[in-house]
Order: sequence, then C-alpha cells, then structure tokens
Amino acid sequence: MNIKKAIINLLIFQEPEKIENYILKETEEEQLQSNAKKDTNENVTKNKKNKRKSNNSENSDGNDREANKGVKISNDISKSLEYMKKVYSIPINGDVIIREFNVIIKDKAIEAFAIFIDGMIDKKVINEAILKPLMLLSTFDIKSNEKDIGNYIKDHLLPQTQLKVVRTYESVIDEVNFGGCGIFIDGIDLAFTADVKGWEHRSVERPNVELIIRGPQEGFTEVLRINTALIRKIIKNENLIVENITVGKKSKTPCGLLYIKDIANDALVNQVRKRLKSIKVDYIQDSGELEQYLEDNTFLNVPQIIDTERPDKVAMLLTEGKIAILMNGTPIALVMPSNLIELIKSPEDAYIRYPYANFLRIIRLLGMFFTLLLPGLYIAITNYHHEMIPTDLMLAIEASREKVPFPSIIELLILEVSFELIREAGIRVPGPIGPTLGIIGALILGQAAVAANIVSPILIIIVAVTGIGSFAVPSFSLGFGIRVSRFVFILLGAMAGFLGIATGLFINGLWLAAAKSFGIPFMVPFAPKVSKKNPDFILRKAIWRQEWRPDYLNVKRERNQPHISRGWVKK
Amino acid sequence: MSKKMFFRTICLSLLLLIFLFLSSGCYDRREIDDMAYVMAVGFDKGKTNPLRMTLQIAVPKAIGAGGGGEGNGGRSDGGGGNSSEGGNKSVTITTVETPTIYSGINVVNNYISKQIHFSHAQAVVFSEELAREGIEKYIHALIRGKEFRGSMFVVVVKGSAEEYLRNVQPILEINPSKYYRMIYQAYRYTGFTANTILINFYLKTECFCSQAVATLASVSKFEDSQNITIEGSTYREKGKEYPLVGDYTAGNIPQTGNTNTEIMGLAVFDGARMVGELDGEETSYYLMVTGEYNYSYITVPDPIDENSFVVLNVKKRRNPTKKVQMVDGKPLAYVKVDLEGDILSIQSGLNYEDPDNVKILEEWVEKFFREGILRFLKKTAEEYGTDICSLGENMRIKFLTWNDWMEFKWLDRYKDTKFSVDVSFKIRRPGLILRSNPAVSTERSK
Repeated sequence: MNIKKAIINLLIFQEPEKIENYILKETEEEQLQSNAKKDTNENVTKNKKNKRKSNNSENSDGNDREANKGVKISNDISKSLEYMKKVYSIPINGDVIIREFNVIIKDKAIEAFAIFIDGMIDKKVINEAILKPLMLLSTFDIKSNEKDIGNYIKDHLLPQTQLKVVRTYESVIDEVNFGGCGIFIDGIDLAFTADVKGWEHRSVERPNVELIIRGPQEGFTEVLRINTALIRKIIKNENLIVENITVGKKSKTPCGLLYIKDIANDALVNQVRKRLKSIKVDYIQDSGELEQYLEDNTFLNVPQIIDTERPDKVAMLLTEGKIAILMNGTPIALVMPSNLIELIKSPEDAYIRYPYANFLRIIRLLGMFFTLLLPGLYIAITNYHHEMIPTDLMLAIEASREKVPFPSIIELLILEVSFELIREAGIRVPGPIGPTLGIIGALILGQAAVAANIVSPILIIIVAVTGIGSFAVPSFSLGFGIRVSRFVFILLGAMAGFLGIATGLFINGLWLAAAKSFGIPFMVPFAPKVSKKNPDFILRKAIWRQEWRPDYLNVKRERNQPHISRGWVKK
Repeated sequence: MSKKMFFRTICLSLLLLIFLFLSSGCYDRREIDDMAYVMAVGFDKGKTNPLRMTLQIAVPKAIGAGGGGEGNGGRSDGGGGNSSEGGNKSVTITTVETPTIYSGINVVNNYISKQIHFSHAQAVVFSEELAREGIEKYIHALIRGKEFRGSMFVVVVKGSAEEYLRNVQPILEINPSKYYRMIYQAYRYTGFTANTILINFYLKTECFCSQAVATLASVSKFEDSQNITIEGSTYREKGKEYPLVGDYTAGNIPQTGNTNTEIMGLAVFDGARMVGELDGEETSYYLMVTGEYNYSYITVPDPIDENSFVVLNVKKRRNPTKKVQMVDGKPLAYVKVDLEGDILSIQSGLNYEDPDNVKILEEWVEKFFREGILRFLKKTAEEYGTDICSLGENMRIKFLTWNDWMEFKWLDRYKDTKFSVDVSFKIRRPGLILRSNPAVSTERSK
C-alpha cells in the first residue's frame, strides 16, 4: 500500500514547495531612472550624458565622509563617543575597540577613551605607551605649570614618537583606519592620534619575478614604509624626497612619490604629482591599476611605465633623474618616464663587466626579435618565399609536412595557442604539480602532436624558441606586449608574406614613434634623435664613460661623474 | 586628442590591411608541400619538338626523412648501393619534348601531381649538340623567369643531358642539390672547372669585351678499371710525351666506380654558341689569368730528373695584372700572374728545399706555367677567337666614348692578339719535411 502510494507520488504532478528565493532588487533611484528613460525615448544621447553627470554628483550620496568633512571635535566626551560609535557602527563592527578610562590630571579624574582597530595596532605599545601613562603615571608629581589640559597631556603624558593633535573627527578616523589610535579626553575640543601600527606583513624577501645573479637580492614588500626605507638605504642623501600622496577616495591608499630634488626636472615632478593627485577613484589596490590610470596611451602594445620590484633598480633610475611611485600594499614600484630602450635594460647590466653586459643585451634583443617575429617569418617564408630556405631544410620541412592535414598557418596557431594555454594554466596549477604540468604540456603534448601528424616537428622548434625568447625580456610587461603582438605578425605573415610583416612593423613603428611617456617621446633617443652623450642605449659603454645623465630627461645636473672618474688614471 | 589619434591610427591600420588583402591577399600563397622542387634541368635537342627537357625533381619523403627517427621504410641512403640500377630514390626524373621551356613546364604539371617550382634548381644542363647550335633563346628565357636563380650553374654535357641527369647519383649526399653545389664549386680546390653561374654566363654573352664559358660535364666512359685508356687525353695536342693530371676533358678521366658522372674543363662560347672546349690544365690557366684561381695541387715534371714529378700546392698570391695595347693595328696583351706555393712531394729526392736550389724549382715552375698560359691564350685567340679571359675590359678603358668602343669591335679583333706572359712563382713552405733524404737501406738490396 505504502509502496503503491510512493510510486503514484513519483508519477503524478506535484506542486513544488514554495521556497523563498532571494532576488536582489533595484534601488528606487535606478527604477526611477529607468522609468524616466522610457518616458523620454527621444534624444537618448543627450539623456545619457545627463545621466552620467547626475550619476557623478549622486556618487557622493550616503558618503558619510563628505558629511563628516570638517566636523569639529566636541569638548563633551559623551558626544564624541556617540559620534565615533555611529561612524564605526559599533557594536556591529567587531574589530573596532573603544576603551574607556579615566585620566587623573592634577587630582582630577577626567573621562577619556581610546579607539583603535584590533589587528592593525601593536597592543603592547597601546598598553605601555598610552594607557599606562594616562591611567597610572599621571599621578606622579610633574613639575610644570602647564594649565591647558591638552598641552599638558601632549607634553607630559603620552610618550609617543608620532603623536598628532587633531581637531576634526575626520582626521581621527583617517588615522584609526590606518592602524592609529585615537584618544579623546573630556573637556577639550581636540583629540590625539598616535601611530601604533602593528599589523602582520611579509618581511623583505628575494624578488620573485626579476631575478638576477649578480647584485642585491632584496625585493620590495607590501608595506610602503619598508619600501621607502629600502630605497633610502641605497640612496643615502637628504635630497631624496618621499612625498606622501593618497590615492583612492575611500581606500585612501598611501603612495610615495620619490625623486631626487637636485636632479629630477621640476616640471616632470609636477606633471607626475598632478596626474597622481587627479585620480578620482573609490578603491585602488595595486600599482598595476595605478599604472593604467597614469599611462599616456592605454592601447599601445608596450608599457610606458617601468614596473619593478627591485629597490636597486628604482634607486638607479632615480639617480638618473626619473621619478618613482611606491604604493602601499604592492611590491611593485612604478618608475617614469620610460622609453623603449629603458624596457630592455636590466639592473644586472650595470653590475657585471661591460663586455658581458653587452653580450646579454644582444641575447635579449635576439630573444625579443624571435618572440615577436619568428613565427610570422616562418609562415611568411614557407608560404611565400620558398627560395629563401636552404634546400635541405626546405626538403626537410616538406617531408615533415607531408602528412600534416592543415595549412601551416592553422598548424602554427594550434601550437601557439596551446603553448599560451600551458603558460596560463601553469600559473594557476597548485604548487607541487606545476612543473610536472609544464613538462607534460611541453614535452608530451609536443611529442604526441608530432607523432599524430597534427604538427610538423620543425614547428615545435619555432614555438619553443618563441616561448623561451619571451622570457628573456627583462620587463615582464613588455614581454606581454610582444607575446600578444606576435599573433598579429603571424596573421600578417600568412596574409602577405614579408610585405605583410614589413607593413606590420611599419605601422607599429609609427605607433611607437607617436607615443609619449610623460611628455617624452617613446622612441627617444632614436626618434627624435637626441644627444647620445650617455652611451647606454642598445649597447652600453664602459661604466667610466657613462658620464652624462640621459639628455631627454632634462635633468638639473647633467653630469654623472667627472671626465676622469677613475682617480688613479694619470693624464 | 589622444582618443582621436587612436581612432585615426586604427582606421589607417585597417585601411592598410584592406589594401594588403586587396593587392596581394594570399593569392600567391603556396605551401611548401604543394610544390615539386626541381634540382636540375637538362636540355637536349628533341626528336619531335625543338627541345627535350629533362627535370630532376627531389623526392622530399626520401631526402627529408633521412636522419629522422621514424623513417618511413625507404630511406634513400641505399641510393649509392643500388645506383647501378639507375633508380635513385631521392630524385625522380621526367623527360618531356616541348617547343619551349615554359610550355614544357606546363606539360609536366599535367602528370606530376605537385606544381613544378624552380627556385631551388642548382644546375641547368645543355647537351653539346644544343650548345653548338646556340642556346641564347633558352638562356634568355631562364633569366627572364623569376623562379630561376642567377646562381644556377650552366653546364654543357658531352652527349645527352638526359643521360647525364639520369646518371647523377650522389653517393655522399642524399640530397642531389647538395651534390651539384659541391661538385660545381670544387674548382676552388681543383682548378679544373670555373664558376659558371647563370647570371655571369648571361652577362658575358651580352658583353662586348668578354665571352662566356660553361662547365664541361659528361658521363664516364669507363665501366671497368681494366678498360681504362688515355685515348681521350689531350696531351698529344700539346706536344707532351705523357699525360699529366689536367690533360683530360670530362668523360675521359681515367676513373671508374659508382660515380658515373664527372666534370672537367670548360666549354668555350662565342656569344651563346659553343665553339670549343678547354681541358683541365687550360682551365687552371684560365682561372689564373682571370684571377679566380684559388689553390690546387699541380704536378710538374722534375727540373733535373726527367722521370719523376714535383707536386706543388699552388695558390694565388696576388690578382693578375693585365694590360692590352695596340701594336701595328693588332692587340698586344700582357698578362702577369703572381703565384706562390708549398712543396707537397719531390719524387726524385733532390733537395729543392735548400735555399740555393729553391730558385731552380721556382724558375722551372715559372717557365712551365708561362708556356702553358701562353699556349692557352693562343688557343683562345687563334683556334676559338673568343675572349673568355675578359681582356677586352683592359682595352675598353682606353676609349673615351661608347661609340668609339663599339666601332672598335674588340671581339672581332681578338683573334689577332699577340700575348706576352709573365709568371712569378715563390715557394713558401717545404711542408713538414725540411730536407729530403734518401731512404736508408741495407747493402744487400744493391
């Protein structure tokens, strides 16, 4: 009976149970807007523009900060307490801690509270250097005639290196958000903020991407102050300026604008500062994002800002007269302005002897050339210019292609795409099996593809050289550009042989020659030609002959070293 | 501004790309494996048509797969072994009778599955019969076609070009193209042929001060070492008592073995018509006079001991000096050849290494070469009447205007030329033996 019922239940239609599903509803404003759009279907474009504008202005809605701007601190501590609780949504916010206590000043007990965010502060410092002196040590007899409580506390009771006296809530909130401690005392219309940062961070490690053999092995970390210190450690000079600039309306990410005052061109510094300050965005996390906001041409196929994780490289470029931006939360520094030649340099070039350095430069250029053009040239030659190949090689290619069912362009694209696939997947493969996947992908796949007559063995060589070549480019960002561009050259080579590749190079050359990086032509010193006093372009000369800073930077001090820098050389 | 620029760049690039497509757009894109590559092309007089064209086409399956791991059965390195069967697997040969070269290609494409392509051809071979008739029209057709390289070697074969190509069976190489490249460039260390590439040949046929030569090749006469004779040698014409190494032309070299084809000597052309041939020795002198000579082993009779030879590694020391002037209405050419050399062998055991004796050898060799070069130059002038050594270039500089030079008609006057030859030869090194000593033997052997 029961079984029969169960079977019938299975077969007959049953109304599904009503489960409350959650649907994110549009806000009222959006609904209103869409209604308005329906009403006024005519001149849509105008509407759009208006909408954008209105959106911009509406962005500030509900922004407490805007409302909070400039609110003075009240001298009634209960009001302050309430205000802070409201701002920080206490008690919903679990990690914001408000510690109320009493300060004894001149035999009077005054109410006070400290506010800080757990996890971002050093508890020991708060205990020892804020609470202890305020609560216990204030009873000591202090020989001072100070009457003002604010000054008294500042001068005698808070043994802190970085203590600020602030008058608005906004500045307290900013400090607390960035690992500070805010202290409110009853009866005075100001507050104290102490720098007690103590969050967890990575220590200084070896660079991950830009590895070199000879030279310092330190890389930037995520903490701005450690990074600036790493540079200060190299450039021990008071003329090195570290300007604090905050980017991001809500994230308030601290950035450091670094330059050497008596070398860098003021106009250039102003330009960088202006660009950096003009960025209006809510949140910004990484210098990669910042780079995209700062660069001149977003669509160019090469980067226009040098990004590096090496303090020594940043220091070297700063002494040349360039400008660096460090950002809290990212181990990559941005250095500007850049040009094409700057991107193929590695700091190691200066550390090793110059014949070796030039050898490496040539190898690197060769690697770039292979990555960019080798597949394209292969396609062009095998499809259009048969007479260019040595007869033996040509017959070998012909024999190996005999069983391949695809045209050579398809064959090449199959391999190139699968190589890019291996590369992209290899990054995301969990650590221990990463190298294994690389081997499987590269070796087994290639071998099997050849055995299955899908591709010819010569193509494996082409693609492998192309892949290896792309790793020889010192700038990871430029390597990306070349990797992407090579597909264009493959198509051009397939379409029109050498003519296509020449056209591609010509257009790309025009594009690069027209580009600028912070007002400096991207192809400098070749187009436009400038003074080549500093002989470190494609090849560099002996280090004692590099007497001048790059001409195109228009620096304040052009000479790098005197004519005779090796004092022991007698004239 | 930058946005506008960007769009302009994009539009411009797209426009150029469209032009690319329209103007060329893959229409002449041809995959390598859609082509049949000709390694050498031969021309004979045809029976039914003016021309009998023989194409030697590479078989990439046999050539390219060589050395690869997964050989598909028939690797061609057996080519040397079964060459007597006449079927080398690395090439296939087809012969077609046709009125012209290009119509012949068209015909061949009807039964060879892949499109015939000449960009890798290394040699163009003419039969002697055709060459003596004149090959101007064929040379012009080859030069005009863009697939034919100027660096192809022009070869004249004694006998039939078809037979020659069928007999080319490289033993040391899998790829016949490499065989041609190596063998026709061997003049750099043998001195018995010359650099007769197509573009030079063509330019010399068109020149008013120089005339063309072509490498002389042939199928070997001798099938068995027992049958080798020196009947075909040229030593008697030169008044010698016995042949030296250079006294042969292709086809007569006393050799036998698996290699059936040989090259030696040059075919001499008047315009584009073959008028005669030079043997190996004369070819060496040709190279010395033109300055193309590099080095070779040259055997000369011993200056003192008549029954033995001295072998020298003779090298060019300096470019030759050539002067031409008119004496009594006849050209007088002066040629000075600068040579140097190392001793390779002294059969007589006489001490020519000795600083006092070295002069004897040097003067003897200078005399030997002087006589040889003089004989060679006289032959070109009196017998053939063609200025293959480009002596006209040294005459041309004496003229102020082109019309004067044209009216002078150098090539017609060349046959009256008188020659004066000067040879300077220096011995540099005696080799690894500094002094010849007789082998020490016991008294008994006497």
